[in-house]
Amino acid sequence: MNTVLEIRDLCKTYIVNKRQNNVLRNVSFFVNEGEMIGVMGPSGSGKSTLLYTVSGMDKMTAGDVFFSGKNLSGMHENELAKMRLEDMGFIFQQMYMMKNLSVLDNIILPAVKSSKKKESNREIEQRGRELMKRLGIAEIADNDINEVSGGQLQRACICRSMINDPKIIFADEPTGSLNRTSSEEVMEELAKLNENGTTIMIVTHDVKVAAKCTRVLFIVDGNIKGEYNTDKEKTLREREFSLNNWLMEMGW
Amino acid sequence: MYLRIIGKDLKRKKTMNIILLLFVILSAMFTASSVNNIVAVEGGLDHYFEEACMADYYILSHKSNGRDSVGELLENSENAKSYRKDDVIFTSEDNFKRGGKKLMEYHAVSMVQSLSGSDFHFFDSDNKIVEEAESGKMYIAGATAGKSDLKVGDKFILNIGEIKMEFEFAGVLKDALFGSEMIGNPRMLVSDEDFRKIANDEYVKQYNSGSIYYIETDDLSALQSETADAENIYLAIDNETVKLSYFMNMLVAVIILIVSVGLIVVSFVVLRFTIGFTIAEEFREIGVMKAIGLKNNSIRLLYLAKYFFIALTGAVIGYFLNIPFGEMLIKSVSENMVLENQNSAVIGIFCCIAVVLVILFFSWNCTGKIKKFSPIDAVRSGQTGERFRKKSMLHLGKTRSNSTAFLALNDVISQPKQFSIITFIFAICTVFVMVLSVTANTLSSEKMLKPLGITKSDAYFVDSKRITDVISGAKNVNETKQEISDILAENDMPATVYIEEWYNLSVMANGEKYKVNFVRCDDTETTDYTYTEGIAPMYENEIALTEVLAEKMGVKIGDTLIIGIDGEEKEFILTALFQSIMQTGNVGRFCQEFEIPNKLMTGAVAYQINFDDDPDEKTVFERIEKLKDIFDNNKNIHDTRGFINAITGVTDTLKSVRDLVLLISLIVIILIAVLMERSFISKEKSEIALMKAIGFKNGAIMAQHTGRFLISVIFAQIIAAGLCVPLLILLIDPIFSTMGATAGIEYQFNALEQFVIYPLIITATVVISTFLTAIYMNTIKASDTANIE
Repeated sequence: MNTVLEIRDLCKTYIVNKRQNNVLRNVSFFVNEGEMIGVMGPSGSGKSTLLYTVSGMDKMTAGDVFFSGKNLSGMHENELAKMRLEDMGFIFQQMYMMKNLSVLDNIILPAVKSSKKKESNREIEQRGRELMKRLGIAEIADNDINEVSGGQLQRACICRSMINDPKIIFADEPTGSLNRTSSEEVMEELAKLNENGTTIMIVTHDVKVAAKCTRVLFIVDGNIKGEYNTDKEKTLREREFSLNNWLMEMGW
Repeated sequence: MYLRIIGKDLKRKKTMNIILLLFVILSAMFTASSVNNIVAVEGGLDHYFEEACMADYYILSHKSNGRDSVGELLENSENAKSYRKDDVIFTSEDNFKRGGKKLMEYHAVSMVQSLSGSDFHFFDSDNKIVEEAESGKMYIAGATAGKSDLKVGDKFILNIGEIKMEFEFAGVLKDALFGSEMIGNPRMLVSDEDFRKIANDEYVKQYNSGSIYYIETDDLSALQSETADAENIYLAIDNETVKLSYFMNMLVAVIILIVSVGLIVVSFVVLRFTIGFTIAEEFREIGVMKAIGLKNNSIRLLYLAKYFFIALTGAVIGYFLNIPFGEMLIKSVSENMVLENQNSAVIGIFCCIAVVLVILFFSWNCTGKIKKFSPIDAVRSGQTGERFRKKSMLHLGKTRSNSTAFLALNDVISQPKQFSIITFIFAICTVFVMVLSVTANTLSSEKMLKPLGITKSDAYFVDSKRITDVISGAKNVNETKQEISDILAENDMPATVYIEEWYNLSVMANGEKYKVNFVRCDDTETTDYTYTEGIAPMYENEIALTEVLAEKMGVKIGDTLIIGIDGEEKEFILTALFQSIMQTGNVGRFCQEFEIPNKLMTGAVAYQINFDDDPDEKTVFERIEKLKDIFDNNKNIHDTRGFINAITGVTDTLKSVRDLVLLISLIVIILIAVLMERSFISKEKSEIALMKAIGFKNGAIMAQHTGRFLISVIFAQIIAAGLCVPLLILLIDPIFSTMGATAGIEYQFNALEQFVIYPLIITATVVISTFLTAIYMNTIKASDTANIE
């Protein structure tokens, strides 16, 4: 199995009012192709910082991040942007979208911007509609973003993250702002994506969400305290139960 | 607690509050300086005339063999309540020499008079009254000296008759009566002692002495009728006409006034927008305040207190900035007028208080929206889901343009209110520059020949010496024409020389007498000129009058008028009406067939030269240069454009004003672009972070933001181009109309200048300002998506 993401001794330090805050301390791990890896930990443990640093959105203080064999630490801002556009997808806790665009236009925007595939805008639009259909939100394609529910909007964000067929999708608390039903629907979609071969790295507080992952990293004070491999043979409920037990052992 | 909340708010939303503060400063500065200028311009002429001790009616007359016929008439006049008199000595540019060369070149007749002997007030450049000249020193009043290279202390010789005196130049003075560009007779002011020395010369007594009468009257038309037959009147003019002669200066002043009003409009529009915009951004906090139980009015008062604090700070700063700004605006029109920006503290403070009140009104009005915000807005970040109006008008999938251009256009269309305000401001700035540019071009173009009532010729020689010789009776018109013609022929430039002769004659119409300036020319046909109504005078008993004059006299085409000529009364039929901005429209035209004694001639504009061999433009230019050498006259021999510049005399000033307005417009545009873009970045921080997160390069987002302003400025320029002609008709036509061009002016457009160069300058300014401001978005990182509220 190929490694999509390899992190070696990653450090991230913020200096606020001359005080040094080491958010990530020598973090090392890897993500294989087709994996769905969860990152859990208490608030302020550095989960989101880890996600933004390994995706090239934020600069690392020290260490190396290899994405598809390329080291992000030496890359120019524009190269990182191109990489995020064409090879990565992002889903955020808040359903950030461009308010002046329709839902469909928000979804296809990265594809129109990208030169990865030689497609006309019309073909991209068609692909966007198909994606929306797959995720069950075809009827809101031409809607304004504040005419749709949170769950629909988060699924639209998933569509946007998928539009350029990325090698990996980073999701930061994708169900954090959703109700239970919407959360389940969104996780269902992410699980389907993963089953179809998309690599996903997901930051979450929710054990139900983490239970769907193949591997879970537990992070405390910027260090990976433990790693949990879920047993695919078990039912979801069983996985949730054993993950919960593991987290309790870790001090969750 | 409120104060603590305000303090925190001011600190936390530093950027938006600073932007708002800057707009308040701009508004206060523009309003205070503009209102001060409006007051100065509005009452400017009246104030100037009052300070100068002007009267109701003025007569400038020659003394014929020492006889003062006007004085005798006024002594016994029932219509002249009182009058003052200044004795003058008529001179021309040839009487003043420095190093063997002419001291100054000017086209009108000049006068030497005693400064201390006059009750009339002259002003220095600081607008202080100058009452005395030292012996051996000479002040020069009028626009001409100001344009010369004369420096205080320069020595020169006055040579007239047997008199040869050296004078030291003491400075330029402002002269309310003869100082306008349209009248433009320089007055040389000396000490009483020096004046007597010159006046006692026998030659001067015989040919050059005269008087200016400043007459007070309660019945101007009766006085005009009464003095209409007086002999040797060089100029008779009433106060209103003198005021009109400042038309060119007032044109500039009115333009400053329009610009000032425009600046006030711009600043308030921007202010209203910014307040609305900042309050709309507060929905979340308003929702939270409502959620914790604060009442609508308490929340409103909180915002009002905040805006009051910002408004007060801005108004105080704006008040102090208005002083230099106002002076900069008014400076361009006060060169030969006492038109000072008084920088009245009362007006300034009043305006600043008004700005504060208007801001409070806007704030009260905008905070009305608070009632609409519910606590749920705080929870849903303002997205209540109750708004069904579609924002996205365009569809990315259906466009062929790239995503950056699409996003820019879509943003403009989706936020019509915000961008239409920006477009409106850019359009105002552009149209001001366009209108001024067209006006300046028109005033120096051949199109002015028609309203000036002059035919086109190859060259124009404003020879005040020869014209003075004709007026004083030393020579006749044909002699002077022949002289010039001979000189031209000797220099291998055979040409026809002609001149529009001016006669100031009394006209009887409907029982009233009027003094009218009649024009005639031996060498042109009356059909060479343009008429607004009727048929050009064809016979010697036919005349044409300006529309203004015909209306004043109450006469129409076909009416018979009686004109007093050399002691006789002759009947003339009015056959046509025309328009003229010469003599503020107080003009009539005789048929070329009509013979009139030269001795009655009171003036002329220029000798016009048409070369016999019909040379091309380049040759004409070369010949004009040659003529300047031959006649030793650099400034008074012109081609058509140069001649019109010399006559209107305001083109350079107008061009300076145009450049000043362009500069002000660019400053406004830069401020608007910078502040608006900065507030957009602040407002759209989450979108910028999102775009970066999903892989948009910094340059692409900057290009999108710049593109929005580019679209706005392009729209603005299309609007400005469309508004240019209507605004010329609306704003500039009435100014020309007051001068006699009642049928409007044919404007001279220079498409390259007005519709390419200036729009390009404005576009480039907008694009550069926005782009440089957009660099600030570098501080927003993709990872900020995690931290945005």
